[in-house]
Amino acid sequence: MSETREIKKTRYLNPYIGGVLLGLVLLAANFVAGRGLGASGAIKSTIVGAATVIAPEASEKSAFVKEFRESHQGNPMKTWLVFEMLGVIVGGFLSGAIAGRLKLKVEHSPKITSRKRILLALGGGILFGFGSQLGRGCTSGSALSGMAVLSLGGFVTMMAIFGTAFAMAYFFRKNWI
Amino acid sequence: MGPLAINEIISENTNFFLAFIIGIGFGFVLEQSGFSSSRKLAGIFYGYDAVVLKVFFTAAITAMLGLLFFSLFGWIDLDLVYVNPTYLTSAIIGGVIMGVGFIMGGYCPGTSFCGASIGKIDALVFIGGLFIGVMIFGLGYKLWEGVYMAAFKGFPKISESLGLSDGLFGLLLIIAALGMFWAAEWAEKRFPREEY
Amino acid sequence: MKPRVLLALFIIPLGLIIAAVPQNKTTPFKLSAGELLSEATSRSQFVTPETVAGMIVSKDPSLRLIDVRNPDEFEKYSLPEAINIPLSELLSEQYTDILNQDIKMNVFYSNGSLTANEAWMVTRQLGYQNNFVLEGGLNYWFETIMNPEKPASTSPDEEFAKYDFRKSAGMALGGGGAVQAQSSQPSLPVKPAITGVPKKKKAAGGC
Repeated sequence: MSETREIKKTRYLNPYIGGVLLGLVLLAANFVAGRGLGASGAIKSTIVGAATVIAPEASEKSAFVKEFRESHQGNPMKTWLVFEMLGVIVGGFLSGAIAGRLKLKVEHSPKITSRKRILLALGGGILFGFGSQLGRGCTSGSALSGMAVLSLGGFVTMMAIFGTAFAMAYFFRKNWI
Repeated sequence: MGPLAINEIISENTNFFLAFIIGIGFGFVLEQSGFSSSRKLAGIFYGYDAVVLKVFFTAAITAMLGLLFFSLFGWIDLDLVYVNPTYLTSAIIGGVIMGVGFIMGGYCPGTSFCGASIGKIDALVFIGGLFIGVMIFGLGYKLWEGVYMAAFKGFPKISESLGLSDGLFGLLLIIAALGMFWAAEWAEKRFPREEY
Repeated sequence: MKPRVLLALFIIPLGLIIAAVPQNKTTPFKLSAGELLSEATSRSQFVTPETVAGMIVSKDPSLRLIDVRNPDEFEKYSLPEAINIPLSELLSEQYTDILNQDIKMNVFYSNGSLTANEAWMVTRQLGYQNNFVLEGGLNYWFETIMNPEKPASTSPDEEFAKYDFRKSAGMALGGGGAVQAQSSQPSLPVKPAITGVPKKKKAAGGC
């Protein structure tokens, strides 16, 4: 006896079409700026920027800031990624507005509490932030953009991210399904 | 001839402005495809939602084909396009840590901004976590600098290391991706869940 | 039709094409034909043997002599500290950093100036700067520096000054002839300034 469950579908774009569009955006980025998309670099920029404002002497002595300065002279916030991420916020908002998905909420599986979800998000964010610096990129910058230019490093990082997530999925299953 | 900014066909400020516009496109498409929902993102790991796989690989292939064809037509100089460097040790370790962060938080930096922009509080918290994580990395940089800089292999392409031409590798990737798509569709039918 | 199938129908042929077609490795020309013609006819790429001799004698570090003849001719005789890039191998990747830079002054030379000028034309077409041609090549070099002809006694002082300079340079470089006391140093032809090459900065990418 099988119950015919009504599978509720939200109005999302077909993933293949979305993929093609995203690929075109990535192509545009490479054509215009000679680089792919990214996200975690904007966080790094903001941190370095804030550090130089809050504690100028200490930051200039920091090896991390020095490494950042090797590739970015001038204002740390005036980088391609920072402008891009500002656009991402606007774009996401526009899309959500058009599709009627604007809603302040904590999204979580009914099997866990909101509080647990927030804690998991925080922990996940800290790990991801740290890992993205070590891996020189996140899924957008290293994996996606890396794949598009056939970078070996990007490919390795992508395999590591997804492989690990798959391997750990069992231990976190209660939080999702 | 592209890339426009490197060949100085457009100014740096135009480049930044276009970065903003491209970002809007990025965020819009991500959100439209459902990447603003952590439950959809995590779905690939449990089989019920393969949106990440489909969008990711379709996008990578589209952009890759686009770049190769642009180069063929002489519209872009691929030597000037940034290829991510390969630092084997940190790529793997960083990837592993990110993998745990992903399955825990259900977001990655780009998608978290997307989620935050439509009001997802967990996405906002994730972003907060990102800042903390980057700060920890920065403050303790000396401790892991060795790992961070280890095993630098230059900027090799996958096709180079396999001894294939870019185009041939592209074809293989396409075939592999299509195989994954069909497998994904099968998985989604097998583990249906309500759409988030 | 399902989007997935439509996508597959599209990307498989594209993938086949891109796998089959050889890559486009052409380097675009940076100068138009007219631009190259005017530069070539202005002869601004030539440097006199005096200039080069002066740089060698004063050990000017910015000079880099490039012998564009065959390796055997290079073995038999070459100018001090010259390197050998045969014309046939000019476009080989290993020499790109030598030819496309803004730190040293590359001076091509050959027996006459024909081959050296050809090297200059090719590299100039690619937009490289700071490459020059030794006027008259080795033949003229021997005539003027190594065995300078004493000017007729009715020649202007300038000619004598040039002769003295050449003599002393030739001496320093191993040529024949006694060194005469010089009353006045001729003003050396101004050596061309090294033009900065705008560094094509690859985009700093990644996250």
